[in-house]
Amino acid sequence: MKRDRPRLNLGLDRFSGLYIWALIIIVFSVWQPALFPTMATVHSVASEQAITGILALAVLIPLAAGAYDLSVGSTINLSCILVTELMANDHWGMVPSIVVTLLVGVLIGAVNGLLVVRLHIDSFIATLGMATIVAAVQTIVSGNNQPVPAEGTAWNNLTQTSVFGFQIVFVYLIVIAVVLWWMLQRTPAGRYLFAIGGNREAARLSGVKVSRYVWLSLILSGGLSGLGGVLYASLLGPSLTFGQGMLLPAFAAVFLGSTQIRPGRFNVWGTLLAVYVLATGVKGLQLITGVQWLNDMFNGVALIGAVGFAVWRQRAAARRRLVGARAGDGTPSAPGGPPPGPGNAGMLPGHQVSGQASSGAAQARAVQA
Amino acid sequence: MTDAGSTAGPGQPPALAIRGLAKAFGATRALRGVDISIRAGEVRALLGENGSGKSTLIKILSGYHAADEGEVRVAGVVLPQGDPQASAALGLRFVHQNLGVIDTLTVAENVYLTAGYPVRAGTILERKVRAEVARDLARVGLSLNPDQRLEELTPAERTGVAVARSLRGSQPGEAAVLVLDEPTANLPENEVMRLLAIVRSVAAEGTAVLYVTHRLEEIFEVAHSVTVLRDGEEAVTAPIAELDHVAILHHMLGERLEQVEQSIESGRPTVQGPPMLGVRGLSASRLTDITLSVRPGEIVGIAGITGSGREELVGAIFGAIERTAGEVDVDGHPLKPLRPDLAIGFGVAFVPASRERSGGFMEHTARENLTLPRIRSFWRWPTLRLGQERADAAAWYERLRVRPPDRLEASLSSFSGGNQQKILFAKWLQCRPRVFLLEEPTQGVDVATKAFLHTQLANAAREGAAVFISSSDAEELVALCHRVLVLKEGRICAELSGSDLTTSHISYHSLGTAKRGDYA
Repeated sequence: MKRDRPRLNLGLDRFSGLYIWALIIIVFSVWQPALFPTMATVHSVASEQAITGILALAVLIPLAAGAYDLSVGSTINLSCILVTELMANDHWGMVPSIVVTLLVGVLIGAVNGLLVVRLHIDSFIATLGMATIVAAVQTIVSGNNQPVPAEGTAWNNLTQTSVFGFQIVFVYLIVIAVVLWWMLQRTPAGRYLFAIGGNREAARLSGVKVSRYVWLSLILSGGLSGLGGVLYASLLGPSLTFGQGMLLPAFAAVFLGSTQIRPGRFNVWGTLLAVYVLATGVKGLQLITGVQWLNDMFNGVALIGAVGFAVWRQRAAARRRLVGARAGDGTPSAPGGPPPGPGNAGMLPGHQVSGQASSGAAQARAVQA
Repeated sequence: MTDAGSTAGPGQPPALAIRGLAKAFGATRALRGVDISIRAGEVRALLGENGSGKSTLIKILSGYHAADEGEVRVAGVVLPQGDPQASAALGLRFVHQNLGVIDTLTVAENVYLTAGYPVRAGTILERKVRAEVARDLARVGLSLNPDQRLEELTPAERTGVAVARSLRGSQPGEAAVLVLDEPTANLPENEVMRLLAIVRSVAAEGTAVLYVTHRLEEIFEVAHSVTVLRDGEEAVTAPIAELDHVAILHHMLGERLEQVEQSIESGRPTVQGPPMLGVRGLSASRLTDITLSVRPGEIVGIAGITGSGREELVGAIFGAIERTAGEVDVDGHPLKPLRPDLAIGFGVAFVPASRERSGGFMEHTARENLTLPRIRSFWRWPTLRLGQERADAAAWYERLRVRPPDRLEASLSSFSGGNQQKILFAKWLQCRPRVFLLEEPTQGVDVATKAFLHTQLANAAREGAAVFISSSDAEELVALCHRVLVLKEGRICAELSGSDLTTSHISYHSLGTAKRGDYA
């Protein structure tokens, strides 16, 4: 059966981000030939976005298992302040400060897990509440005064060492991405996480230890956010307010990424692709004009535009597949099936092909039972 | 039953006339020139195995597909191809197996979901709504409180609401055609009769009904005539009186019938040794003090009407739902409640009734569905051996004859119901279960696939599994089981085996003396 029609369109469906990226690069290279197409631009975009990338990967892990972690923005900010306070104010050594800060990130993840898994609070609500609580803890730690930046060669080298012209923080991002890709795609744990995200009840009845893996995913996202905060402090110095501003771009990248490489599923490389396509566009526009609102406007328009396009493509593809797979085939199966993974609503093929009022729509945002 | 079409005058064109309809998808010829003609007021059963072309035919009628050849006329007017709005405007109405009703809304809200509310100055005219809903429901022979929420209704009533909604906008007596796509697939036995009454009352006012089903018994109750499709062609069209069960099966399956009969006659597995599954004093939800045991090689069934506890028992044994008292053990190992992972570790497999809700991952690939419970066996540090996983899945595909055969990476939702069930069977058979628990193992599955799945269960038992099945399909239990336990009001009220194991005995004990006459 040579009817695997999507294969013909694979390029456009799965890698549209790469094409758009290439297009952006070409346009700005022609427009600003002296400033844009330089290694300096490459290096600065790579390291400026590395921490956003790490935070997006943190968000990705629980999302794969169908759980939101909205507390990552507060966690990254708290850990940035905490590690600086410990080093600059309390004169701790660098290593113990970092270790304690990472443990705090892990602790926040563990508390999230407790709320979601043991107390059965919807992850959206639980982590939203935790975000506020963590923000309050940050104010307690900092006394709402921006701390003095920590100093030291080792501390600066932690993120700013040059590796082939890139700051090493970009290498960290790539290493984390590879490890995470391996975990999600090449280990049973990854299968279990996606199984939980795909259908929590079916996963439980297939013997997956749902509680354990949801908990684990939230701990990992907490720990990774803590790491992001440490790196931010080393790279850019402490700031009291940057965290909340990073939350939405991180989520945007993950959702945008789920339209790429492996459409309909949250994935590591799609997420990173999204982070850097957006960053390249913003960078180019900044070289042309210096207006303040550009960054937000570009990110918002790109997110809606790209996801909208992907939904449209997938609907078309799903329709074709449906025709192919069910050619003359008996029972139309499972239209409007179980609630889809978060945000996959409207992106997954099959969800909107039923052609009738789907009761699934009402539950589209239900995440945690 | 011979008064079909009495409402249509002699000179009138048929309500639905299909001529030479053909449709191909690539190399697959789904329909190869089908002629069907239905008069107003006639109920026509449309039968055929999965893959016989029923779905394609319905999708052409609804405007989802455009036919390659042939034409469709509704009351004499040619239906434009591939235009859903034209299809609705001409009076073609559809109710699918998935009803598209919303359980948390009321009857009135559901009826008005797809039509606009009558309003004056932006305010909904409540009184008019009530009157119209009452009229719409009366057309299908129902009288319900419009403020009742759908979840409070019985399944047949919900289907009735969906039918009433689909008929909205067409006037009574207008030559509308109602297409019912497996309306009874998910209905318990005692609800089927009520649904058939709804179908009769719709037909009685002059609507032509095209009734698609896998359940042969009910067509003798409701249909005036039968069309059987086989491999995209019309195998037979005849008045119901000229056909019987065997003849219909013969038309549906052709030479495949022999295969089916062989598998049925190959006999039951031999029972051996002490109990593999033991249940003592189990109480859960509606169930009280259930004690039973199943030995290796034995197939035991659970029957009972909806609400008897039949739907809960298997899940309670497995640990899918909470149990309030009692013990379960497998080969002497006690099973903890609510720990499916431990149960699976002891060699228990569980196929739940609802594939969408709790059985399958509809948007994940068939391969991922198939290998999930055994995924650890493909793990060799530092990676999952994906090649071996794929080869294993392909082998099970072949063994269970999943169609289409090479689509390991297609999402589960893209398969037909029968093939989905085969994939979920494969998922558990590959674990070589010692205790195989199933709910409604062949619901919504065609006759040939059903026989095939039954053979698989018998084989599993022959290899030493203790098989335990709950089913609303009494014929299935009789065909498959050594013993059948009948549940009533949460307790086991009868155990049937040997010559007592018949559908009549099952119905008798399930229903007690209350409504025996209806189901004889």
